[in-house]
Amino acid sequence: MMERIPQYLFWILIFPGFVFTVLIGLVASWVVRKVSALVQWRVGPRLYQPFVDILKLLGKETLVPRGSQKALFFAAPLIAMTAVLLLSTMLWRIAFDRIDFIGDIIVAIYLMVLPSLALILGSSASASPHAAVGTSREMKLVLAYELPLALALVVIVIKNGGQLNLAQIAQNNVVFSISGLLAFLVALLCVQAKLGFVPFDIAEAETELAGGVLIEYSGALLAIWKLAQAMMLVALPLFLVLAFLGGFTVLWAGIAKYVLILVLLILIKNTNPRMRIDQAMKFFWVYCGFALILAVVLAGLGNYYGIGWL
Amino acid sequence: MNQKELKKRLTELEDKLIGIEEPRENCIYLNCESQNSFAVNKFLFEELRLRFVIATGIDAEDCFEVIYHYANDRAGSMVNLKAFIRNRKKPAIDSIATFLPAAEWIEREIHDILGIDFNNHPDMRRLILADDWPEGVYPLRKDMDSKIAQGWTCKTSIRPSKKSPARRTIPMKKPILAVGPFHPLQEEMEFFQLATDGEIVTDIDMRISYNHRGIEKISESLQFDQVPFLVSRICGICSASHPLAYVQAVEELAGIEPPVRALYVRTIINELERIHSHVLWFGLAGHFIGYDTVFMWAWKYRETVLDLLEEITGNRNNYGNVTVGGCREDIPDELKPRIIKDINFVEKKTNMLIKAVDDDPILHARLKGVGVLSYEDAVKFAVTGPTARASGIDIDVRRDESYAAYDQLDWDVITRPEGDVFAKVVVRLLEVVESCKIIKQAVQKIPDGPVAMKVKQIPPGEAIGRVEAPRGETFHYVRSDGGNRPVRHKVRAPSYVNVPSFKASCIGEHIADVTITLAAVDPCYSCTERLAVVDGENKVMHDYESLLRMSREKMDRISKDLGVEKLKLEDL
Repeated sequence: MMERIPQYLFWILIFPGFVFTVLIGLVASWVVRKVSALVQWRVGPRLYQPFVDILKLLGKETLVPRGSQKALFFAAPLIAMTAVLLLSTMLWRIAFDRIDFIGDIIVAIYLMVLPSLALILGSSASASPHAAVGTSREMKLVLAYELPLALALVVIVIKNGGQLNLAQIAQNNVVFSISGLLAFLVALLCVQAKLGFVPFDIAEAETELAGGVLIEYSGALLAIWKLAQAMMLVALPLFLVLAFLGGFTVLWAGIAKYVLILVLLILIKNTNPRMRIDQAMKFFWVYCGFALILAVVLAGLGNYYGIGWL
Repeated sequence: MNQKELKKRLTELEDKLIGIEEPRENCIYLNCESQNSFAVNKFLFEELRLRFVIATGIDAEDCFEVIYHYANDRAGSMVNLKAFIRNRKKPAIDSIATFLPAAEWIEREIHDILGIDFNNHPDMRRLILADDWPEGVYPLRKDMDSKIAQGWTCKTSIRPSKKSPARRTIPMKKPILAVGPFHPLQEEMEFFQLATDGEIVTDIDMRISYNHRGIEKISESLQFDQVPFLVSRICGICSASHPLAYVQAVEELAGIEPPVRALYVRTIINELERIHSHVLWFGLAGHFIGYDTVFMWAWKYRETVLDLLEEITGNRNNYGNVTVGGCREDIPDELKPRIIKDINFVEKKTNMLIKAVDDDPILHARLKGVGVLSYEDAVKFAVTGPTARASGIDIDVRRDESYAAYDQLDWDVITRPEGDVFAKVVVRLLEVVESCKIIKQAVQKIPDGPVAMKVKQIPPGEAIGRVEAPRGETFHYVRSDGGNRPVRHKVRAPSYVNVPSFKASCIGEHIADVTITLAAVDPCYSCTERLAVVDGENKVMHDYESLLRMSREKMDRISKDLGVEKLKLEDL
């Protein structure tokens, strides 16, 4: 056991964990910014801009609001970062080496919720009315999209015959069926909300809440948040690739799938205005909810009668 | 009501008035003593249903005058009630804000600048003067000691009394969300305090006056032909409308008709300005609801219009193109094909935007039924421009009291009955299309000839100029004593009446909707705040109840610790 610790540390800290994921994540966030800029007829940032941003933030003073709950205020970004780090390490290992353990999909779900919870904790610890409104919105948003996301994964599990193992699930391309496609589309929107992209950037809403949940964060702590968000930009699409699109069986195909999801996210981001929180909740619960109940039923029928395309 | 009926109804007032004058057609002055002004105002607003435009306070040396300007939009005429306040020691007059919310701000402003008390005013806080402006010093009184203003600093020993702080406290039990004085939503300084209950806004308080330039006061020290360049700097966007309104007032005073070609040039510049402003607003509205793609696209199309304006006047903004008696720059004939081509491009793109707005379900969900300003509220707050037209009030100065070359051209006034944000979007976008129509016709019809004429002297008298600016009616009142400077120049920009309507449209809305509602009247704060004397340092009161005054250092410390105590942000 002891002799394997350096190996684990390498996985978590260098490849495919922290360094690798941050690298990909920052490049991905550059892609988001650059493509958005091109869509909007702007020039857009250079490739190194996200890296410079993080460096700049690390060098800035970290202000802590006086009325804040300090321990929580400091811990929240670290919790978020840790969760994403574990999630991305796990997913990369599944993608590259097919290592697996039963029920890793459940672990993935929990790890995916943690950053949002940390965000709620951190912003409610920061003693600002803007953050307070942001917190309540983030909370409602989490409640709104977690249910459809869970249902979407239920569809996956049914389609794979009760399989709870991501490496096994990644062998199948469930998106080529009606229920699988429905589940994939809804899960994509849930990922959009988890990333805080328009139309679901309700909790940050700069023109209403001036940054909302993150308003009081500055300097290194803000840099950690930004890093965590960049890593989410890797981990969440990667999860979708594994769960719905048949994983990284061929390396270039896997990368293509990841880029495809990234492009879809950017397109949704740039062709929509921000929703109101009540509209977002209604959207997830009513429309996505019904779509998924239908998908679950279809998947169950398909599984029972052995019809693959359902 | 046409002009004949109006005059007949006005005879009912005879016992309350001391005279009726009609110096020009379509402009009636009623004179009365201050005691009777309340009753006459009530009659004008409630019985005759005239639209309140603004009030002007004047120090006429032997007495004070408050002139209430009303517009009779059907006939395109003005009715001005002149109330004389004879008691110079303790000037007072009854407030009309009790039945006419549109008059609330202007009465506060007149109190600030002339020291006239308005009896029974519901909310007599300062509006435009800084919190620590000395009490009892009134900038627009002719006998004001300018040394007091020059020597005024934050440390002045003369303090305002406890009665006149500019800020009101909203009961502290409710969480208060501060929007401003600096906020990503706003390009300029202003301060909204939203009392909230969860996501719902229960009360709103506005504070303006962070950016005074004292335009009206400066105007009194400039010659008649210099003022257009001053008022074009009231606002970069409306820099064609303000000078035009002023110039029209002075031309009316001097009784001159500018050359016809100048009228066409004015029309074209003003319509280019309208396109520029509406497209800019549409982009910003997109930004406010998080639709940045629309923001960037709209502003790209606007560049075409700015290039045209630069080509004609030499400036992208602050054109300063009108002078008394004509225009400064002509539109060269060789530019005509380019204008037509560029306007066709803008029209095409605007139609594309209209289609995009119409097709987008999320935009419908975000904007329909949001921030509704009902017809009744719109009348009470006397809003103008697209804000009024989107609430079903069919007014447009371009048609009602036609100026420049608008009556020679074929175009429509766009109205919508709904009063919500969506209606305001639609009205503005369709107005852009109408503007394109106007410009194309004007370019084709423009006659040859000079664009300016010599003006020798401005005789004594008073006159009013009105122009339909992009945001609504711009109103300029000029009084001359026969010298070379105006003795009083009153400016009312459209946002001054549009902004207070937030009280009617924001309460009960979601926080998420309030921002777009605030933006929907296209508020222009530089227009709203054009009067005051010193660009002062705005003092911050930490504790309103005890009116604890803070030194500058302490303020710095507080702003550093902003968000210190729970929900005390509004104190800053």
